[in-house]
Amino acid sequence: MIFEVIERSLRQPNRVIPVEALLGNCDGSRMPEVIADRLSFAIAQRLVEVCPTAAFRIEDHNGRPCLRLSYGECIGCGRCFEVGEGAVAAAKRIACCGSAKDQLVRDWDLESRAEITPPPPNPEFVRGQIHSLMGKALNIRQLDAGSCNGCEAEITALTNPYYDLERFGIHFVASPKHADMLLVTGPVTRNMADAVKATYEAVPAPKLVVAVGACGCSGGIFAGSHAVVGAVDALIPVDGYIPGCPPTPAMLVTGILEALRTSKAR
Amino acid sequence: MGENHLTDVAVKRPQGKNGRPARLVTLFGSLGPNRENRVHYVFDVGDPVYLEIVHPARGRIRSLSLEVPAAAWYERELHDQYGVEIAGHPDLRPLIFHENWPDGVYPMVDSVKDVPWSHREYRFLEVQGEGIAEVAVGPVHAGIIEPGHFRFSVVGDTVLHLELRHFYTHKGTEKLFESTLVSSGTMIAESVSGDNCFAHAVAYSQAVENACRGDVPPRASAIRLIGLEFERLVCHVTDIGGLCTDVGFSVGAASATRIKESLLQASSKCCGTRYWRGVAVPGGLRIALDSAQLLEFGQAVAIAAREFLDLARVILETPSIQNRFETAGILRNDAARELAIVGPVARASDVDLDVRRDHPYGYYAKVSFDVPVTHYGDVMARARIRIAEAATSARLIQETAHDLPSGSVLAPLDLRGELQGSSAVESPRGELYYWLEAHDGRLTRCHIKSPSFQNWPAMPFAVEGNIIADFPLINKSFNLSYSGCDR
Repeated sequence: MIFEVIERSLRQPNRVIPVEALLGNCDGSRMPEVIADRLSFAIAQRLVEVCPTAAFRIEDHNGRPCLRLSYGECIGCGRCFEVGEGAVAAAKRIACCGSAKDQLVRDWDLESRAEITPPPPNPEFVRGQIHSLMGKALNIRQLDAGSCNGCEAEITALTNPYYDLERFGIHFVASPKHADMLLVTGPVTRNMADAVKATYEAVPAPKLVVAVGACGCSGGIFAGSHAVVGAVDALIPVDGYIPGCPPTPAMLVTGILEALRTSKAR
Repeated sequence: MGENHLTDVAVKRPQGKNGRPARLVTLFGSLGPNRENRVHYVFDVGDPVYLEIVHPARGRIRSLSLEVPAAAWYERELHDQYGVEIAGHPDLRPLIFHENWPDGVYPMVDSVKDVPWSHREYRFLEVQGEGIAEVAVGPVHAGIIEPGHFRFSVVGDTVLHLELRHFYTHKGTEKLFESTLVSSGTMIAESVSGDNCFAHAVAYSQAVENACRGDVPPRASAIRLIGLEFERLVCHVTDIGGLCTDVGFSVGAASATRIKESLLQASSKCCGTRYWRGVAVPGGLRIALDSAQLLEFGQAVAIAAREFLDLARVILETPSIQNRFETAGILRNDAARELAIVGPVARASDVDLDVRRDHPYGYYAKVSFDVPVTHYGDVMARARIRIAEAATSARLIQETAHDLPSGSVLAPLDLRGELQGSSAVESPRGELYYWLEAHDGRLTRCHIKSPSFQNWPAMPFAVEGNIIADFPLINKSFNLSYSGCDR
């Protein structure tokens, strides 16, 4: 019987998604993409009104109104698609996975309808450097600081035959003492605060911390709750942020590799 | 009668229609019009509608836990959240708040801005005797799992006693609902237990619809059924894969994760989300899915389900699997009944319950299906129940996608005035129940009875007498959500 399963597995086509198709891909995450030339002040106001986590804000930029979108706070509820009159759509690609916190924010000038400091035009800019990262071991310890388990479900998917994280030399390990990177999900709850600190301290230096999901990046929908301390960086230093609610496996791969790349560059 | 007078309120468990005592669905607190504590007892007496008894709790209430063990955690939660005194409770240690929470601060009653950090004591039950060792596991576990603490008392390899300590992921969710717009509540509901987000969104939406007597367009009901059964299918496939992992059967585990991923990708293609987040809303659905898309989705589900059932047959026929699954982690029927266990775990211990059949909601009155029940109560029984349910889910998805009603998917609701409503849904883990109260479109209270909160206390009964190495397997076969329990 077991041979039957193995035989069938061997007959299956290879399902590994090539790295080029993964990097920057955020299909299915419901992250918003702003189409700048369709923006207006009225639309921007509506976006601010309907956004449940204040990911959209109208800010002042050198005396001109600008629309600010903070991906770290977005829970992908999709309400902005409904009221955006075509100025907001579900993003297919995202450039801010795994990067520093200030790179999670994008601004659009509402008068000139143009982005203020757009991100690098090609989100696949890491491609050239990816090969230098591959084949070297990275041990990740996943730490749930209070998540709803949505992020865990997607992190588990990284080991399936489609994403196969092991091909990059990346393993999930059982002990923080064996880890190079902590992948932290959830808003840090009051009840988990001590355990999060202890786990962080158990990871040998040099160590990387990547905050995962809207809750990990900003507290998400749970920000301000009496039972929650806050985002991951309210408690321990964070090197990279992966937005999304939950981030798709492709976003997680991008984010982990990007955090690794920027840390090597430092 | 003065305000400080202690009035011991005693509620008796009603008799059910089947001759057995009624099953406790949930027990929770709320604040009355003058901010006085009230206690709500919800029972299933065998009618399509649940029986709700509301008692003012100006003084103490008498504990129900000795008569109805299923009430024990609920009463502890009530004590932690509302400060209600409970006379005669066998164990009133803090449940949802840990050592750093100060005594005497009750978040559902008091202001909870800047609650000071404290250092109070928590005592585990100590098992004494010669040769007894304690093994402490968690809250951080060795894998991609949610946090929780397990305290085993063992003799050699054999577990004598297991004490759970949970609520590490407690996020104050029920409090967060307060003053949230009724129309936005689904977003919080979806983050109670991420892998069952659609069941939570539907249960919440139905509670709102029941509260304002709103109708859901038939097309929306039908698509909700597709989503709910999809979630069940994904959950059961994941779980069978997880069971394989826990006995070192890598081929089965990898195959199950592949099938699961193919399902999630089909969902992403059909409705732009892998887990049906942001789809349900009070009054219907947020997105209009076209019939051709859903038909294609149904076909993808059919292919995945066929592969899964093939795999499941092989798994169950493998002798090394049978050796590990059979007789491991037996949950006896009397324990399951006393603790009012729900879902596949209950059905594997001969408790014949299914909200879809017993309290039909939405489109379930229009479809026919069998509810699998078995009496063995071991890991194998729970695996068999899940496999049978996965097959039913796949069939229901295809049949419904083939014969979808036409029309709109969203009806307007009148949310003005005082609203109160409740709803139960059979989530992949069992009965999920929402109770809510709103005033002019804003929530004033929302209680979630999650199947995980109900089922966790039964786990130690299934573990005792087994070897500690079988614990991960037994735990996986229960497949309970920590976040859903802790909320």
